[in-house]
Amino acid sequence: MNGQNGHKSVLVIGGGIAGIQASLDLANMGFKVYLVEKSPSIGGRMAQLDKTFPTNDCAMCILAPRMIEANSHSNIDLYTYSEVEDVSGEVSDFKVKIKRNSPFVDWSKCTGCGLCEEGCPVILPKEFDQGLGKRKAIFIPFPQAVPKKYTVDKREERPCKAACMDACPAHTNVLGYIKLIAEGEFQEAYKLIRDTNPLPASVGRVCYAPCEEACNRGQIDEPMAIRDLKRFAADQVNIEELEVPTVTKTDKKVAIVGSGPAGLAAANDLALKGHDVTIFEALPESGGMLRVGIPEYRLPKEILRKEIGYIQKLGVEIRTGVQVGKDIALEEIRGNYDALFIAAGAHGGMRLRMEGEELPGVIEGIRFLRAVNLGEKVEVGKKTAVIGGGNTAVDCARTAKRLGAEEVKIVYRRSRSEMPASAEETAAVEEEGIPIEFLTTPTRFFPGNGKLARMECVKMKLGEPDASGRPRPIPIEGSEFTTSVDTVIAALGQAPETEFVKEFGVSLSKRGMIEIDPETGATNIEGVFAGGDVVTGPAFVIDAIAAGKRAAHSIDRHLKGEPIEVKEEGKEPEKLSEEEVEDRKKRFPSQKRVRLRDEPIGERIKDFREVSLGYTVEEAIEEASRCLAGQIEGCIECHECAKRCEANAIAYTMQDEHIEIDVGAIILATGLDLYDVSPLTEYGYGKIKNVVTAIEFERLTAASGPTFGELKRPSDGKIPHAIAFIQCVGSRDFKHKAYCSSVCCMHATKEAILAYEHHPGTKSTIFYMDLRAVGKRFQEYVTRAKEEYNVTYIRSRPGRVAVNPENQNPIVWYEDTTTTETKNMEVDLVVLCQAMTPRGSKELAEMLGIELNEYGFVEVPDKLSHPVDSTRPGIFACGYVHSPRDIPDSVTQGSGAAARAAEVIAGGS
Amino acid sequence: MEVLSPYKEATEVIIEAGGEPLRLCYQCGICTGTCPWNLVRGFIVRRIIHEAQLGATDFGNEEVWLCATCRACVQRCPRGVEIIDVMRAMRRAVVSLGIGIVPDALRISAKNIAGAGNPLGEAPEKRGDWAKDLGLKKFSPGTEILYFPCCVPAYDPDVKVVSRATATILSELGVDFGILGSEERCCGEAIRKAGYEDTFHSLAQSNINAFSSNDVKTVVVSSPHCYHTFKNEYPELGGEFQVIHITQYLAQLIDQGRLKFSKEINKRVIYSDPCYLGRHNGIYDEPRRVLQSISGLELIEFPDPREDSLCCGGGGGRIWMETVKGERFSDIRVEQALEKGADIIAVACPYCFLNYRDSVLTMDKAEVIEVKDVSELVAEAM
Repeated sequence: MNGQNGHKSVLVIGGGIAGIQASLDLANMGFKVYLVEKSPSIGGRMAQLDKTFPTNDCAMCILAPRMIEANSHSNIDLYTYSEVEDVSGEVSDFKVKIKRNSPFVDWSKCTGCGLCEEGCPVILPKEFDQGLGKRKAIFIPFPQAVPKKYTVDKREERPCKAACMDACPAHTNVLGYIKLIAEGEFQEAYKLIRDTNPLPASVGRVCYAPCEEACNRGQIDEPMAIRDLKRFAADQVNIEELEVPTVTKTDKKVAIVGSGPAGLAAANDLALKGHDVTIFEALPESGGMLRVGIPEYRLPKEILRKEIGYIQKLGVEIRTGVQVGKDIALEEIRGNYDALFIAAGAHGGMRLRMEGEELPGVIEGIRFLRAVNLGEKVEVGKKTAVIGGGNTAVDCARTAKRLGAEEVKIVYRRSRSEMPASAEETAAVEEEGIPIEFLTTPTRFFPGNGKLARMECVKMKLGEPDASGRPRPIPIEGSEFTTSVDTVIAALGQAPETEFVKEFGVSLSKRGMIEIDPETGATNIEGVFAGGDVVTGPAFVIDAIAAGKRAAHSIDRHLKGEPIEVKEEGKEPEKLSEEEVEDRKKRFPSQKRVRLRDEPIGERIKDFREVSLGYTVEEAIEEASRCLAGQIEGCIECHECAKRCEANAIAYTMQDEHIEIDVGAIILATGLDLYDVSPLTEYGYGKIKNVVTAIEFERLTAASGPTFGELKRPSDGKIPHAIAFIQCVGSRDFKHKAYCSSVCCMHATKEAILAYEHHPGTKSTIFYMDLRAVGKRFQEYVTRAKEEYNVTYIRSRPGRVAVNPENQNPIVWYEDTTTTETKNMEVDLVVLCQAMTPRGSKELAEMLGIELNEYGFVEVPDKLSHPVDSTRPGIFACGYVHSPRDIPDSVTQGSGAAARAAEVIAGGS
Repeated sequence: MEVLSPYKEATEVIIEAGGEPLRLCYQCGICTGTCPWNLVRGFIVRRIIHEAQLGATDFGNEEVWLCATCRACVQRCPRGVEIIDVMRAMRRAVVSLGIGIVPDALRISAKNIAGAGNPLGEAPEKRGDWAKDLGLKKFSPGTEILYFPCCVPAYDPDVKVVSRATATILSELGVDFGILGSEERCCGEAIRKAGYEDTFHSLAQSNINAFSSNDVKTVVVSSPHCYHTFKNEYPELGGEFQVIHITQYLAQLIDQGRLKFSKEINKRVIYSDPCYLGRHNGIYDEPRRVLQSISGLELIEFPDPREDSLCCGGGGGRIWMETVKGERFSDIRVEQALEKGADIIAVACPYCFLNYRDSVLTMDKAEVIEVKDVSELVAEAM
């Protein structure tokens, strides 16, 4: 005899109840068992059932201990999420190749805690619930799964490089939230955004969206409207009603100077870590530049107020109107708090440095916007000129127009292509009838009646690039000209005001900005951190948020006494290669970006209403569905799970594993598949919502099911009080499966009893051909159903199921063959007892070299003497793949197959 | 125990007609539950099969004449019982053995068919009159296609629009076709289902002779009933030729780029699958494809389209028998079409055409919904 190792071991294919029984029997006899199961958990069909007939025992209560025993038995090697690839050799000496599919999770580390699942944005139909429930792309098949280890359902390579996430300074999970919007899960999308960005509604309106510039879809047709989708998700949420998480408090206190995006982001993260946060804000309102630098028509104050309000609810205290250095000394704050974050922004205006600048009527841009935003009375003249080419200049011009200036123009010293304002903003300003005078700069202002009356300008030409990389504007001699103006708004840029930190000893750069370690946000003084515009000079909101979050991470570690480590974040955004672009163009049809609609121009310039209208639900879903990452099934590799996994178990690069084993015998126990009943159009499955299959009904009654055990019908969630069960749907029918599926009469009886137990009084009708109650106590079970559970049996195969369009009730048309009457019965729910077929037997039979009967059940040549022997020595079958049978029979057969396998490997035949 | 049967010979005919499958019937009753008669009255198909199994058929019962041979039950039967054959055998027994009463209307139609070659009793020599002013050529050997219009579009003044539209389309597209006029007879499909086996055989023989003497190779038909018998029954009797339903032919012409539409039909059109095109012969897609090719036309579906389509009630000789108000399937169908908001019921069968048109008129709905043959719509859109 060959196979010294192999001949004392057995391969069991299929981890349902029959396979588990066979494995445990063999293992208890002292044989080595390899139990191979295709899905990530053992348990099989029985795990899906609520109860078992005829005892109405809880299926899981019986099954779970057996599953656990199989998993922990020292003689059983359990290979779930695995498939048999090849079998060679012969009885007593089979060589078996097994493929262990990569779950992309290191199961030796996974604790089954489920944090990964919560964050996963990919929603898929849950197989365990027959698609009635949902699961995530990272999942366990059901709560009692054995082994309780997560699996990533990764089927395809993501067609893009996720460049958006790398380009975003805050590394927001763009793929994830766009996927959630496409799935209609707007609340979840908002939550996911908020994990990396505490101000989604504001940022979704004003962000410069570097993500969109990087978006790989842009290489195919047009980039995704990522910012607009963020705004949409945020607008779907009532921020004031959002739940506030309970956080365990630390006893640490953090002070933050400045309530702009950097300060708020840091405050948000620190509060969520349990620290006590106080923000000192010099202005009377909180929000920093978001509040005083951005006009109402781009970011309504109410929206910002709500977002700040939520951060306050987390326990953050904001003291407005307290100017640090004047109202309170930095030293004093330092003494009272464990850490300090300076995020004072860049609120100082730049001067023009030219004659007449001090005249009434000449105003600094940022001061102008601040005054308007704080509701101060600001007057603009009939003729207003705005100097500058940035977003602030555009904001000033559009604001002036809304304040009633008759003629507004922008004067900019370079040409259109050098304008720092975004193309969108430039287009909007021109649409509103505000011209831009390019290659022009003022040189002097002249008074008239004690205030500004005229402005002298000079024309410019472009020279060699300067330090900023843009061509230097050079005045053209003799091109001076004068125009009359009432108001000049100089929007030349902003600078931080850092006088107040000087004496405190924080080191400043030459240009007066705070110097920090750019990766940690730490200043030269221990426990003092800084970030945002006060460090970088005027930059973007999302950069400030990222800086705030980075600093919060460092501060948290500092407070815990841990070394300040750099958080690993992203990489440079990647482009698709040319070949990849060509491939994607072939695979995904070109689709235009869905544009946001604006308020009509004539109306919007009359007041400060928000210009952009935001997406409708349909528009948002259409736009979100363009995302390249979302074009694939399964995991999109957004890495949210990896971010959340505390055990560090996610392993995206994990490979399938191929192993070889030697065994003396093989037991086939792959169970059953459910026959697709949608071709039986007369019963309306798939067309009539309240027509379900028996296994679906089973899930609707089970506590672990999609309705948590509440029996509700699919169309409207109503409790079904009248239920019709139709037998032999696809069974005993020469066009489908000519055999009797064996268990339907009894499981329908059980389900009718369950329906009554869920809602006493429920009337169930079972339409049958011949009632097959062929088992111990089965007939009594049927009698009990009739007498105690209001179940009626009608001998008939119904002709069709129609629907009452008013209430979606199915109507069963049938002849009662015992009374020769044709009738129709309107019920709340129809349950189709579908045929069952042997599972996966065809492929395995080929591999194992065994014969099947015409329906695919394992052929058993000697039914009387060797009832579990296949046509090949050493290969046995049990459970439904052997022949149609119920659970007790499958278990009995499992033991039988184990006994036969033991006999063979013990030297018998 | 011996089953006492006064019509032993008749019951043997039925059992023979049903053959082995009749014995397979396990009395589940799906046929009864499927049969459209049970939408309007009781018709226990299962019991008829059971009685046939036992040789206890009641030949005097009016139920012998109900079956419209729509094939819904046969399609569903889990045991493969050819129920239509059983129904036909009962009728055959009544007709040939005189052991029951043939409904008057049917008897007159049968007489007309046997005498004049058409159920209306019109003169055989006038069979080609529908095309009088169209300048069609008479089919002669070498002509590519024979157009066989069916008795109804040939004679019925209201249904001639169908044959005329078809001929117009074919002429305009330059199709090489001809008609046989007075040389042709009723195809005999329905009268055979009604039990008149001998009449069918003589009609079939006459047509087969006419076709072969003219060397007909391809026949285009307007009626799915002609289609069915030409394709499935004539070959046994020596009739070997290709048969194409007009909707199939139109679909071919569209695919070849020969048939193009220049006008829009801005209507909601609901297509009714004829039993003999759909369930009997599996043709569901071509008529829909033709309708969808017409621009402006919005094709909608009945609640039970295709395989589950409800019969108009006109098959199996029922077209000639009176169906009382309240029991007409076509009334249900018109109601369904109205509920779906259809402007036009498109048909592809002269019997459907007759029944739906009658229903629309008797239901007083002519103002809101029209009945049109697919070929009419095509001719309009060209």
